[in-house]
Amino acid sequence: MGSGFFSSSIGRKIVVALAGLLLCLFLVVHLAGNLLIFAGAPTFNHYAAALEHNPLLPAAEIGLLALFLLHILFSLKLRWENHRSRPVGYAESASKGGRTPGSRTMLVSALLLLAFLAVHIKTFRFGHPGDSLYRMVMTWFSNPYYSAFYVLSMAALALHLSHGVQSGFQTLGLNHPRYTPIIRALGVAFAVALCTAFAAIPLWALLAGGAR
Amino acid sequence: MSEKAKRSYTLKVWRQRGPKDKGRFAQYQVSGISPDASFLEMLDVLNEELIKRGEPVIAFDSDCREGICGMCSCVINGQPHGPDNGSATCELHMRRFEDGSTITVEPFRARAFPPVKDLVVDRSAFDRIIASGGYVSINAGNAPDGNALAIGHDTSEKAMDAAACIGCGACVAACPNAAAMLFVSAKVSHLALLPQGQPERDARALAMSRTMDEAGFGNCSNEYECEAACPKEIKVSHIALLNREFLRASLK
Repeated sequence: MGSGFFSSSIGRKIVVALAGLLLCLFLVVHLAGNLLIFAGAPTFNHYAAALEHNPLLPAAEIGLLALFLLHILFSLKLRWENHRSRPVGYAESASKGGRTPGSRTMLVSALLLLAFLAVHIKTFRFGHPGDSLYRMVMTWFSNPYYSAFYVLSMAALALHLSHGVQSGFQTLGLNHPRYTPIIRALGVAFAVALCTAFAAIPLWALLAGGAR
Repeated sequence: MSEKAKRSYTLKVWRQRGPKDKGRFAQYQVSGISPDASFLEMLDVLNEELIKRGEPVIAFDSDCREGICGMCSCVINGQPHGPDNGSATCELHMRRFEDGSTITVEPFRARAFPPVKDLVVDRSAFDRIIASGGYVSINAGNAPDGNALAIGHDTSEKAMDAAACIGCGACVAACPNAAAMLFVSAKVSHLALLPQGQPERDARALAMSRTMDEAGFGNCSNEYECEAACPKEIKVSHIALLNREFLRASLK
């Protein structure tokens, strides 16, 4: 694989797609951990401690950071080129039937997610949970503004993935007359299910007061 | 022709004297248009009127006027080749537009398609892409014996579907990113699927995608507007095939 790969539009897109789909796998693992909160404080705190003391954690975090950086920086580069590819725009523009709400809003959802990522990492990666991460999570989510921002960000994530999942498969060349419609439908279902589950935690904390 | 009621329209047409001119919309009234007239015939009627008035005619591209040459273009009411799917501007009938309505006509817009005049843009970037790899340099000989064909009917049909691309550039015009992936993928797929295309398969995928990037087209973000706008209904599955071809060639 020559250096031409990373300077070509298709090569860069393949990097974005691969990183994006791997980040989706990360989200599944992340969600699985989050959902333990419904099992109560002892279980959740035990899980948090086990994760914290796992010797592989720093390596995983570096890998994760690399995935995020590749996905974000290559996307921004591609997006900047796209911005320059039509210097004079149309006075009138109407879809002939390809775009979806998710595909139209990729940049907006991406920027919102970037802001979310900054807040999220500051709160939960560099925050100080003391002896109970459970209590820290509940305290943050009892703030309606914080919870609202979290839920809004999850809606943006759902929108982002509703286009992103099937787009990733297409960019990797995985298109088949029988399976592509299924991939597109499952991509949307995955996006909605994942983000609903993530958003359930702040809503539960806020509305039911969690398991106090 | 039948005695159907003639129609009138208000046209908002992009006028640009040359590549350096800034360009602007001009408004025209056309009347006496048969609902059976094609969109280009309607422009012909308007141009005859302009000649009579001593005004400069509207420059637009057209050639075969039967949807097989890829010369006609125009973005009509915001849609390349107008509102119909699977047809070119020359195949668009005026009965698709309500009597008395206003129609906006713009050129295809992309950095890689620089303006020439009015509705005419320079699509020679497509020719440069073809020249960089859209051919076979081996002597393919005469039509082979049907029973000696090295590929199945389904594969040859797929290649034929890709070969249906007329290179009009509507995919670029429709793409939110002005990307040319549908065009390039059709040309790459067509030859990648056939035995004649095998010797140059890898070099072709790399060279044509590189020329595409150099021409200043945008990057595909899988919005699939191209497929919806293509007068030949080329499928985005060819773009996936191009991605595979590129990856295959890059990994070697």
